[in-house]
Amino acid sequence: MIRLVPDHSARIQRTEKVPFTFDGVALMGCAGENLAAALMQAGVLHLRNAPGDGAPRGAFCMMALCQECVVFVDGQSVESCRLTVSSGLVVKSRR
Amino acid sequence: MSENHDIAVIGGGIMGCAAALRLASGGMAPIVLDRGDLGQGASGVNAGTLSLQIKRVRLMPYALKGHEEWARMGDAVGFRRTGGYTLAFTEREAELLTERQTLKAEAGAPIEFVTNNQILTAEPNLTRRVLAASYCREDGYANSSLTGQYYRGRLREASVPYRERCAVTSITRDTQGFVLHTGGPAIKARRILLAAGAWLKPVAAMLGVDLPVDARINTVSVTERMPPLLTTVIGHATGLLTMKQKGNGTILIGGGWQGRGTPQEGRGEVTADSLIPNLSLAQFALPELGQARVLRSWTGFEANVPDFYPLAGELPGVPDAFVLGCVRGGYTIGPYIGRLMGEFILGHSPEMPVFDPGRDFEKDAT
Amino acid sequence: MLIDEQGQAGGQVWRAKDRSILSAPATPESRSGDNLRERLAASGVRQMTDTRVWQIERQGEHWVIHTLRNGAAGRLHSRAVILATGAREEAQPVRGWTTPGVIGLAGATALFKQSIRLPGRASVVAGAGPLVFFVASEIRRLGGTVAAVVTPNTRADWLARLPSMVARPDLLWRGGRWVADLMLAGVPIYWGHAVKSVSGDDQVTGVTLCRLAADGTPLPGDIGIAADSVCLGGGLAPSTEAAQLAGVAIRYRPELGGWVSEAELDGSTAREGLFLAGDGCGIRGAVAAELHGQIVARTALRHIGQASASDPALERAYRRASRFGEAMTVLSALRADPIGLATPDTIVCRCESLTRRTIEVEIESGAVSSNAVKSGQRAGMGPCGGKYCQSSVARLIALHENRALSEIAPPTPRPPIRPVPVSALAGDFDYDDLPMPKPAPL
Repeated sequence: MIRLVPDHSARIQRTEKVPFTFDGVALMGCAGENLAAALMQAGVLHLRNAPGDGAPRGAFCMMALCQECVVFVDGQSVESCRLTVSSGLVVKSRR
Repeated sequence: MSENHDIAVIGGGIMGCAAALRLASGGMAPIVLDRGDLGQGASGVNAGTLSLQIKRVRLMPYALKGHEEWARMGDAVGFRRTGGYTLAFTEREAELLTERQTLKAEAGAPIEFVTNNQILTAEPNLTRRVLAASYCREDGYANSSLTGQYYRGRLREASVPYRERCAVTSITRDTQGFVLHTGGPAIKARRILLAAGAWLKPVAAMLGVDLPVDARINTVSVTERMPPLLTTVIGHATGLLTMKQKGNGTILIGGGWQGRGTPQEGRGEVTADSLIPNLSLAQFALPELGQARVLRSWTGFEANVPDFYPLAGELPGVPDAFVLGCVRGGYTIGPYIGRLMGEFILGHSPEMPVFDPGRDFEKDAT
Repeated sequence: MLIDEQGQAGGQVWRAKDRSILSAPATPESRSGDNLRERLAASGVRQMTDTRVWQIERQGEHWVIHTLRNGAAGRLHSRAVILATGAREEAQPVRGWTTPGVIGLAGATALFKQSIRLPGRASVVAGAGPLVFFVASEIRRLGGTVAAVVTPNTRADWLARLPSMVARPDLLWRGGRWVADLMLAGVPIYWGHAVKSVSGDDQVTGVTLCRLAADGTPLPGDIGIAADSVCLGGGLAPSTEAAQLAGVAIRYRPELGGWVSEAELDGSTAREGLFLAGDGCGIRGAVAAELHGQIVARTALRHIGQASASDPALERAYRRASRFGEAMTVLSALRADPIGLATPDTIVCRCESLTRRTIEVEIESGAVSSNAVKSGQRAGMGPCGGKYCQSSVARLIALHENRALSEIAPPTPRPPIRPVPVSALAGDFDYDDLPMPKPAPL
């Protein structure tokens, strides 16, 4: 089939995969990758529950405004779209 | 076309609305005017603390009555009687605490001194560096954000008309009373009550009266939702901290740290020079607060006169004009003193004395 | 000194790749961004990246910029400040738009540019203007599947904009190629349609589309599409909060994205030494923003006493680029009633899970300003600060009160501009050093 927009997926080279955890679940992500993107790639979309109705929420704006992707690292709340993956990173949610 | 009313109340905060409601129940036809939204000035942006431990000794009887009013308003204003602790961390603060809370207890507030064990059992997340503390079971808080919507409902129920975003630009007299000029049609009223909070000075000036009203610019901050950390209202011996955790988990921090700006400019600004020590003091009292993110800080203008006692009575030199405001602890006392003011204007003899706005402010209030 | 919230300069349009990308084919955006970053590095401009500005204050003759970096607060003093805060993305609330797997349309571009990742395996891409086709095309370029493209614009809307687009034949050509590729690949393009609901519990399973009437109201005849992710855009709005906190007024200019900060063409504002550049004073797009930055820099230089003549050629180029950008902004606003697709039980305020019905009841009981709704129901008190509900709330008030949107200002912005940990502000301190004022009178 003719493609006017080429498929570049095979031409992207990434750093090595490193382990990190989300609520105790072992995941792998590329070192230095944006955490929200790495979680999405690992199939973890449900990052927190809305305080009002308890409904599942995940990363939304991807530019650190909406606060939907907030997770906890060392007890401090932080937008996952502003964090990067590092080996042994322990990420928690308040799901 | 202009409208005629028995009395026009300028300022739709707690005091103006409470007075209007009492006037309406006493048979008068009031109208309430506000330059912005109802209850969006000091009434709606203060930290909501209802604490007898931070009330002035001479105003204690009014504050006790105020607490009764808030308890009656209940859930509609987010009222919670949680009890409250006031903390001292240094010897000097402990002395101040002992001296002040003793006088307040003598004035009728059920304040007692507590041991460190008692306080750490009740509030285990507080710092271990408390040197002395007092407790008042009557203390608690309400949600000041709900003030506007609460009074909209009450005024509607009582069929009291109100106008929001209706700034009075000048006031003239005619044979019937007062003519209030606004952007829209003029409003006529036989009497007038000035309850404009920090904007009292320019409003009184429209009637040629110079009231020595100044404004404090109090800073309040709120955090994101946190796990349960506090169950009571926390204060500081100096009065420079109030802190409580709301039912939704957010922590509200006040204490009267000063921002910048003037009511005339229309906006107050949060300044880091006072916000940072305010939050530092709060974190010192509650170390786990450090991990909370501050979501919003804001300021509210609190009116006062040089002796820091209320203005509640006749506007000097202007027949049929009254003024109400400048009440230290005005959120707590507001609903009660508003009612008193209504009784005063109705010609009844109020349950407790009002405060002559024509007094000599350099002396103690009489 | 250049201060930026991201790890590298470039903003949203020229956002840099994160450190996990060792190599990837260049795109027009990555080339422009890399070129900009190279020029910045060579210029000697000092850069503070990964730095959030949480408050701006005027003190005497200076502006004080309060920063947050690596968990620590700091402050900078400056005679002149240029705020280039750009835009935020709007989204129309629809049932299920809070489901994990729904991300912003501009948000998707951040995912592509920074991490070169896909939002899912099969994505519905919905939104107005050229962005929707860019996102769909990027998903294809990165090897993903576009389940459908959904845009409120009709082909007639696009044709009507052609005269303003011929100023930029390069962009016109690029956009045409995106659309042609999608058509060749058999991706359904729903012109004049919108996503009216998203299904799924803890992850998206599909969307329902509807056709839109000219005024943006949904027409009968639902179309269901299976997908595991949705990129949902509702146009861009200027980020005005920082300028507002510094004392700059805002004005309603729907053709420029809604409420915009008031500034002159040269970036000057009513506040001395405070200048605005780029989308924050009206959405005109990246090309115009770059030129505007150059114009405003000249103004700021003159303010601090350095000779810098204004450049008529630059201003002409800016006006030309603005015409293109403004046409795209207008296109993005067509058939975009911010509340038109929300049912009574649709969440309007994401932070507090407030439904349209809850907000309407509050308005009916007398809360007829954005601040009043915020006070009474917390719409705007959550962690996002009202960024994702203010347009909807304003529209609901306008509908109920029969007033123009221009009369319904957004809620008063409050500092911090971004959430700040208390510990970062408090830092390490000795209790005895706290500057405690005199206690209140007894």
